[in-house]
Parts: sequence; structure tokens; C-alpha cells
Amino acid sequence: MSKSVLMKGNEVLAEAAIRAGCTHYFGYPITPQNEIPAYMSKEMPKRGGCFLQAESEIAAINMVFGASGAGARVMTSSSSPGLSLKQEGISYLAGAELPCVVVNMMRGGPGLGGIAGSQADYFQATRGGGNGDYRTIVLAPGNVQEIADLTVQAFDLADKYRMVVMILGDGYLGQMSEPVILPEPDVKPVPKPWAVSGAKGREPNKVMSLRLTPDDYLEKHNIHLQELYKKVEGEVTQSEAYMTDDADYLIVSYGTSSRIARKAVKMLRNEGVKVGLFRPVTLWPFPMKELHDLSKKVKKVLTVEMSAGQMLEDVNIAVNGVTEVDFLGKLGGALPEANEIVKIVKSYG
Amino acid sequence: MIKKLNARNIDAKECFYGHKACGGCGESLALRLALKVLGEEAYLSLPAGCMAAVSFIYPNMAFKNNAVITPFASTAAVATGIAAGLEALGKEAPLSVGFAGDGGTADIGIQSLSGAIDRGEKFIYICTDNEAYMNTGIQKSGLTPFGAATTTTPAGKAIHGCVTEKKNMFEIAAAHGISYAATASIGYPEDFLNKVQKAKECDGPAYIHIYTPCPTGWGHGSEITVDLAKEVVDTGLWFLAEYENGEFRLNKKPENFKPVADHLKRQARFRHLSEIEITQIEEMRDRKWEKMLKNWG
Repeated sequence: MSKSVLMKGNEVLAEAAIRAGCTHYFGYPITPQNEIPAYMSKEMPKRGGCFLQAESEIAAINMVFGASGAGARVMTSSSSPGLSLKQEGISYLAGAELPCVVVNMMRGGPGLGGIAGSQADYFQATRGGGNGDYRTIVLAPGNVQEIADLTVQAFDLADKYRMVVMILGDGYLGQMSEPVILPEPDVKPVPKPWAVSGAKGREPNKVMSLRLTPDDYLEKHNIHLQELYKKVEGEVTQSEAYMTDDADYLIVSYGTSSRIARKAVKMLRNEGVKVGLFRPVTLWPFPMKELHDLSKKVKKVLTVEMSAGQMLEDVNIAVNGVTEVDFLGKLGGALPEANEIVKIVKSYG
Repeated sequence: MIKKLNARNIDAKECFYGHKACGGCGESLALRLALKVLGEEAYLSLPAGCMAAVSFIYPNMAFKNNAVITPFASTAAVATGIAAGLEALGKEAPLSVGFAGDGGTADIGIQSLSGAIDRGEKFIYICTDNEAYMNTGIQKSGLTPFGAATTTTPAGKAIHGCVTEKKNMFEIAAAHGISYAATASIGYPEDFLNKVQKAKECDGPAYIHIYTPCPTGWGHGSEITVDLAKEVVDTGLWFLAEYENGEFRLNKKPENFKPVADHLKRQARFRHLSEIEITQIEEMRDRKWEKMLKNWG
């Protein structure tokens, strides 16, 4: 087994990507994810890959479009305002069914906001974000080890479904150093007969999201995409249930805020309060059924997130009225406190 | 005839003070000097970058002027909008000024800058060039010089820092047929002050590109910022020039260039360079000067 090392979240993400066979990385500076391009600029040339610093986020995502269209395993990373700029490209990637990994180490917004971690891009990540009817698979790590594990998964999922996979972390996770066991290099090459890899001896491939003719071509393509997303919903949902077996109350939280919620659960359990934590790992597809089943067994659900109530909408859809849903949200990069969560849950009793 | 500005007759009033820039910051000095000429009536647009980060810290707002932080790609677009808005409000001859760094100008901001110059907007754009994205932690930009180590062009055994040369932003701005364009350095403050004055008086878009060392990003003592900015002109690695009425003009033609190696070695970002690369840098300089003297002489 590999040895555990102490590493920063952003650097772990970059290293895990290289080990997962990422050969092309296109970046652009923005805090708090700068360690990813810095690491890639050092490592990619040594390991036969391509690091390229683009002239803007828009250029970076469209370099991803080009490299993915040519069949490469490719990644870009940014943080919230930068992700906003990438959304057009992500929509084109989704329209052309090109696989890639996009990292968003979220920071507070709207606008330039701040540089402290935040979870206010949940909507942007899980609702498509750009124009048109599309989805991206969204993976939300809760610690540095999971950053490594989910990064490897992200590349495999992207190639398997020909989809954009977003790793949705935040500034706190990206800047946090924790012990991590890095994944063994294990590249699972997927044949890409659709790629624009040279048309000698075969019909040329076309990579595009433009579908003008015949009349029903775009409609058919959209129906195909929706069928794909249905299949993904059935196959890739991930979540964690912590101390939920006998719980009277259930906290729902992901990423950085789930770490604080987990601490609150431990504190409450020490005082004899039966409370558990449900942590979605895939934010799209959201673990609707798993949460619905759990919520039937509890008196109340408390959603904790670092936004004004974005995941809350999915929690409400999942719970679907079977129990009451309460909410604690922190805005603009502020963190919830374990004591605060403890106090709220105690008030339920 | 516009009065020549110098240290004796320059406005004593400060429009940029109390900011949180690093000791020896060249960029903040450029803003301070420019605003002495532009005055507190100028409306400022700044994108994300050090100058926005160190001066908009509530409640210590460092600008005496009205100022806006723009999206990164859009300094010149926001400055255009401000000018149009002020005109619509009946403001006579509003002075709209954009200040952006090298990345915000030569990389992500070049589209909106080109558009604004092409439209003939009456506005001033000042690029404070410290040759990398400093606010995010020293990443390479289109204006990072050959050989410089940054966090995304690290100096290793195989690749010795940045492999590309600086983009010619001054000439790109001039190629639009702009009303006024100039290069400057905080090492030659009088030259800069008078160029800002010309930009203020000119009827149409004006672009000034000023060289501003960064002790934090370049790895030099904060006490030699101005020295380096003077030296870079004296070594010929940077130049003072103007573009006016469709003509280029060199403001300073050093008879003999000061040694490049001494200048570069004072900055940690160049310390890894071999003699061969330093010779290469000298050759690049000589080619550039040969062309400038021939075409603009």
C-alpha cells in the first residue's frame, strides 16, 4: 500500500489528475486554486503532459474543448468568477458530448466577491450553468483524501458517459493540508472513435454543438442527452450516511460545511442527542432516494451549507414534505460553527 | 502650450494614500503619480488585481476619486460605460480612466481595450506592467519577459523560466491609429507625469504603458524599486517612446547601454539565467533597438 503523505488539497488534485491519465491541463490564475496550475506547470513537462496557461478562462475552457475533441484526457480548474466565464464553453462541451474534468474551488460571490471558501455556486454547478438543457456530473469532496479519490473517478466518469464532470470544492478544501494516500497510477484508456484524430482511411468525424438541419435534429439530440442523464442518475449517485441508523434528527451537508456538521453530530451524540449526518457526494445526480428514505425516519432535517439555501432546494425535493426541513446558511465565505449547529438541533427537543 | 510638470510644480495633493500595497510597490507609485496629474475629478476603473485588492478595503478606501472594480476582462468596457453614463448625466468632458495590470491588459483585457480604442472613446488607459499576475501569486502573463521565473514558468533544469518574449502592447495600441500612446517607467517620473498630462489633454483614446517593478514578485529589495525602473531603461531592456499624430518617437536614446547581467541578477526571478541566456536577452534587445532606431529614429 502507498504511504500516506501530507499535502495541500489543490496539489493533491493536480497529482491525482496526472495519475489518472490527465495529459492536458489548461489553466488561468485565480485565487484560491493557483496551486493547481503551479503544480501542473512543474510536473506536466517532466511527465510528458501538456501544461498551458491560457490568456483567459474563456480561452482555457475552449482549449479543453479542442483537446477533448481530439481525444485527450483533459482538465481545467478555476474558482467562482472564473467558472462563470467558462460556462459558455461547458455548454458547448455538453452539446458536443465531449468528456473533460472542470474544477471549481469555490469562493464567495456574487461578482468578484472574496477569496475565502464558499458553497454559493451549487446552482451554477448542478443546474447546467450555461445555456440549453444539459447537466454536468458534480462531485463534492469532503476532505483531501476524497479530492484524490474523486479526481480519479471524475476522469473515468467523463470518458464513460462523454460528459463534463465538475469537481466542486472550495477555497478551504483547496488550501487545506491533510494526510493523503495518493492513488496508484491506473489509466483506463477508453476508445474514442468519435474523436477528431485524423480521418485517414475512415469517414471524418465532426465535433459540434450546432444542429440546424434537418428540422428535428436538435430535438432528437436533446432527447438523447436527457436519456443519457437519466441513465447517469441511475448509475453514479454517491452519498455517505453517518450515525443515521437510530437518528431522530438528520443534518444534510456537503463539502467543507459537512466537516463542521460531523463535529456537531459527535458533540450532540456525546450529550445523548440522536442525530446523524447525510452527506451527498454527487450533487448532480443528487441522492434523492437515499435522502428521501432517511428523512422518513427522522423528526426533522437540518440543511447546513455555505450559501443562502441552494442545496436546500434539492433537499426539499428529496424530502418531499415527509418531514420538516430547517436551514442554516452562511454567506460570503463565512463558516458555520459546530456550537451553532448543536444549539439549533438541541432546540428541536 | 501645456506647462511642463516636474517635482517642483506638481500638485501636492494626494489622491491615492492609505493603501495596503507591499513596501516598495512600483504599481502603487505609478497610480499615485498619475492621479496627481489627473486629479480627483477622474473616474477610475480597475479590474481584479493588486491595486483593487489593496485600495478598496472598507472602510479604508484609498482613492480620493470615484472608482469602480470591473470584471477582469472589461476595464476599457466599463470605462467606456462610465464616460457614456456621465455624458448622459450632462457632465462636461468627463475624465474616465482605466488602470489595469499586465495580465488584465495584454491577456484577458485586450479585447475590450481594442474595442474602446477602435471606437475612438475619449478615455485614458494606463497599463501598470509588473510582468506577471502578482495578486494571484506571480503567474506568467503575456508581458512576462523571456527568462523570468514565475510560479507557472518555474526555472528548472530543462526549461529556464518564461520561454516567450513580452507582447508589444505599446505598438499594438498604436496600430489602432490611437490618438496618443506612450511608454514610461516609474524610474523616470517626470517623463511619466508629462505623458499623463498629454493623455489628459488629447482628444480621443490614450494608452500609457508604464514599467513598475514588484519586489514581492521579482525578488528584489523594496529599496531598489525605483533604481531598477531607471536601470531597465538605461540597459535598453525597456524604452521611453510616444506615438502621436501617427508618428512614433523615441524620448531617450542611450548612447551606451548599461550592463544587462548586473541589472538582471539583482532580481531573484532572473538569477538562474546562464551566460548564454543573458547574451540571448542582449541580442533580443539589440534587434528591438535596431528596428526602433530605423523606424522611429
